[in-house]
Amino acid sequence: MTLRNYVIRRILVVIPVFLLISMVIFFMVHAAPGDPTRILVGERSRVPPEVMEDFVKRLGLDQPVPVQYVLWLGRLLQGDLGYSFQNEKPVITIIGERVQLTLELMILAEIVSVIVAVVLGVIAAVKHYSIIDGLTSVVALIGYSLPNFWLGLMLILVFGVQLRLFPVGGTQTLGIPFPTPLHALGDHLRHLVLPISVLVLVWTAYLFRMVRTSMLDVLGQDYITTARAKGLRERVVIYKHALRNALLPVITYEGYSIGYLFAGAAVIEYIFTWSGLGQFIVEMTVLRDYPSVIAISVIIAIMVLLANLAADIAYAFADPRIRYD
Amino acid sequence: MDNSLNTELEAETKVYKPSRATRLFTIWRKLKRSRLAVSGLGIVIFLSLIAVLAPIIAPDPNLMGVARLPPSVEHPFGTDSRGRNMLSLVIYGARVSLYVGFGSVALELLIGLGFGMIAGYFGGIIDEILMRITDVIMTLPELLLLILAVSIFEVKSIHYIILIMGVIGWPFVARVVRSEFLTLRERTYVEAAHSMGASSWRIIIHHILPNTLSTIVVIATMEIPWYIFYEASLTFLGFGDPSTASWGVLLELGADYIRAQWWMVTFPGLALFFTSLGFNLFGDGLRDALDVKQSVR
Repeated sequence: MTLRNYVIRRILVVIPVFLLISMVIFFMVHAAPGDPTRILVGERSRVPPEVMEDFVKRLGLDQPVPVQYVLWLGRLLQGDLGYSFQNEKPVITIIGERVQLTLELMILAEIVSVIVAVVLGVIAAVKHYSIIDGLTSVVALIGYSLPNFWLGLMLILVFGVQLRLFPVGGTQTLGIPFPTPLHALGDHLRHLVLPISVLVLVWTAYLFRMVRTSMLDVLGQDYITTARAKGLRERVVIYKHALRNALLPVITYEGYSIGYLFAGAAVIEYIFTWSGLGQFIVEMTVLRDYPSVIAISVIIAIMVLLANLAADIAYAFADPRIRYD
Repeated sequence: MDNSLNTELEAETKVYKPSRATRLFTIWRKLKRSRLAVSGLGIVIFLSLIAVLAPIIAPDPNLMGVARLPPSVEHPFGTDSRGRNMLSLVIYGARVSLYVGFGSVALELLIGLGFGMIAGYFGGIIDEILMRITDVIMTLPELLLLILAVSIFEVKSIHYIILIMGVIGWPFVARVVRSEFLTLRERTYVEAAHSMGASSWRIIIHHILPNTLSTIVVIATMEIPWYIFYEASLTFLGFGDPSTASWGVLLELGADYIRAQWWMVTFPGLALFFTSLGFNLFGDGLRDALDVKQSVR
């Protein structure tokens, strides 16, 4: 298979998978006990009957479920994510308001953990069996074994409650005016420290283990011995020959784990009352506001599918062997 | 004459096929070399003992006394907001957590093995369909799917939570088993079994499956803490079974008192961490001892 054919085939696979996922999400919500119309409007929202009736007619909720699915999918493809009665806003508006905070948290944590994990992972692998290797590996295993939400609680307990160094939740101190935008930014950054620390600690531990294993694997291969035998400097062997190949599985892993990263971030957002998308989906699930839940689940699914696609294509470019799979 | 021939034959077979006990011993010898792996196994055994012996070693966790007492000799982990002994609660919590971990993984293995074996051995259109199903389930992060399923179906029982975790978690196992089967089915011994007229099922169960056991054991060990985490996270977020005293429930209750009573969130979480550390250490060691090439999840 040529690279082009592989890419085309890989892109086409996304479509049936997406359709299946949207069906799973849609039918799962419709399998819920209780009146589906009531559920879609939100069980706890007080909507007048005439608005309800109009809503039912407009969205075709009086139609059979498969027809409803097609109608829903049609609206989805036109960018209509539905309306949240409990928030009295279209879901897309809410997502727009909150997505920035989630991205901020995830991207910052991701950048820091990738840098730390790659640097430490390479050092640990190059100095295999040394004290540094042993120490970093044990620390990583501890980080890997820590439940993220408990780590969050412990940071709140130590740095927020006991030492009073950082705020324990929220994204901004409320009720005090900031003299300059710079002060506001500083205040926001102080709120960011604890949640980011949790994510960085946990994610770095994961990534470090991946980088180290992958690097050890590559360093044991023949072409590395060849490179050394040619008299290349160790630095060139490690960074040019080994690291490039060792990072391949790490890139795929990153592409595939975006959903898990989001779920992890959601729990942390919930604990630190960080008003991003993760906290929103948890809250809306508690409140059974299904239009929001469905919409965000679909968006996560699309995000994950695209990230997987990107990872696979990147891998195919970097390593021609996998195209023959 | 006959006898000596037999013993000779037996001796020869022994050389080629070590008994199960010998193989276990070899694995143990390799495992023993890693101090970390042994301590992991120690933790796992310790936890299992605590869980089994809870009614003997710990006072009844439902006894209520003075609420919110700090740790002391009488209450080493303090008491909770209802005056219950935290140490007792944490010990009894081990029962719930281990039940969750082992239960979900058993279920996940059952489904995942079945699908993985069929997809990997038969290949073709069956493989394609089964793998698309795993794609679908794996696209949504497990924790979110769990929250959705638990909240939509209004599940409030620990048994149902385990059931849902097994039903959601199997694709990962299926993938790994499938890829093992893809490689193993090309081996000459499978061809030999075929040519001797062995049925597909016989080959799957008797010839290929035993060779994937190492991988399955390692995965199972490393998956257990995940399910314990998932249950705890789920419960902490308010979607758990409030009638059990799982570590997640204790953490959820304790989080409300974080400002004044530090022990209520600290000890259940420590137990969670300790458990996961034990399984991960043991799993790492087992992976090296069994020589399984398996990246972390």
